[in-house]
Amino acid sequence: MEQLTNLIISDRELAFISTALNKLVLDTSASSVMLIDKSGQVVTTQGSGVRRNATSLGALLAGAFSSSRHIAELLGEKDFRTIFQQGVNENIYTTLVEEQWLLVIVFDKLTHIGLVKVLSKKASDELGRVLERVKADSTRKKSSVINVEFRS
Amino acid sequence: MALINIATHEIHCKIVYYGIGYCGKTTNLQHVFRSIHPNARGDMLSIATETERTLFFDFLPLDLGTVHGFRTRFHLYTVPGQILYERTRLAVLNGADGIVFVVDSQAEKFEENVQSISELEMNLRRIGKDLGSFPFVMQWNKRDLSTALPVHVLDRYLNRRRVPSFEAVASAGKGVFATLRCISKTVITQL
Repeated sequence: MEQLTNLIISDRELAFISTALNKLVLDTSASSVMLIDKSGQVVTTQGSGVRRNATSLGALLAGAFSSSRHIAELLGEKDFRTIFQQGVNENIYTTLVEEQWLLVIVFDKLTHIGLVKVLSKKASDELGRVLERVKADSTRKKSSVINVEFRS
Repeated sequence: MALINIATHEIHCKIVYYGIGYCGKTTNLQHVFRSIHPNARGDMLSIATETERTLFFDFLPLDLGTVHGFRTRFHLYTVPGQILYERTRLAVLNGADGIVFVVDSQAEKFEENVQSISELEMNLRRIGKDLGSFPFVMQWNKRDLSTALPVHVLDRYLNRRRVPSFEAVASAGKGVFATLRCISKTVITQL
């Protein structure tokens, strides 16, 4: 599958994404919710838990996810769309948004995984719609960002 | 895939250092890490085995200045070089914007280098990219060793696309930044 060259996120779409992530933080009582690109770059983070380590977490989670997809392939599965990492106190639930982004929810033992699964599915559908708009906009917006002045 | 965030005025790009085992990919990143001011870089992550061989990848986030109001943030990755980790290399290549191919210049490593470049071409095809039109730079590493092949020989057989190439001794820091400058410029130019 051909990968995109650029993904350009406008202020407006970033605000939509932040609202969706913030709602997920409030509804699940997660310490953090992140949206990362599958190449490992962090689109945005909400919540207080991971802010300082967001860049490293983005790279590691995207790496783990990419690796798990290859494991799926070896097992004859199309892919694994979610990963759940369980610790004594902290847990991480990662789910794929439309083959491009990863929605990451960091939560503690007071939050039930079932709630995270249901609400992340809902948020993921919403983010999927944002992604469609971002993809459609990226080509149009590219000329306004990467213009002659930028290249000079 | 470069991520351009208009709200925060940032451009994020991913550069992958590729090459055979012990060719010096991690050494390149370690030199960059040591030489750059902590304000302009993040922590370096290494997922390595107990014997310090790269198991998954090394990762180093860098801030390489501003281009017309956009902060350019480069994420440098290495792949594990050992043959065993072919699938892992493919996983790390996902979403790359540019590739540095690090060549171990020693004569006895020549065949392995050739195989590694073919594997890279194949892996890029699997993610829908063509090495011919992709930001790509070669680094002839370990130039200080007496067994190193002459550059014109390496260039003739390993650099069929005639992409920019740099002589290096990564362990001493020689050629590391010239390579990084070239690939980062190429990536930005081809955005």
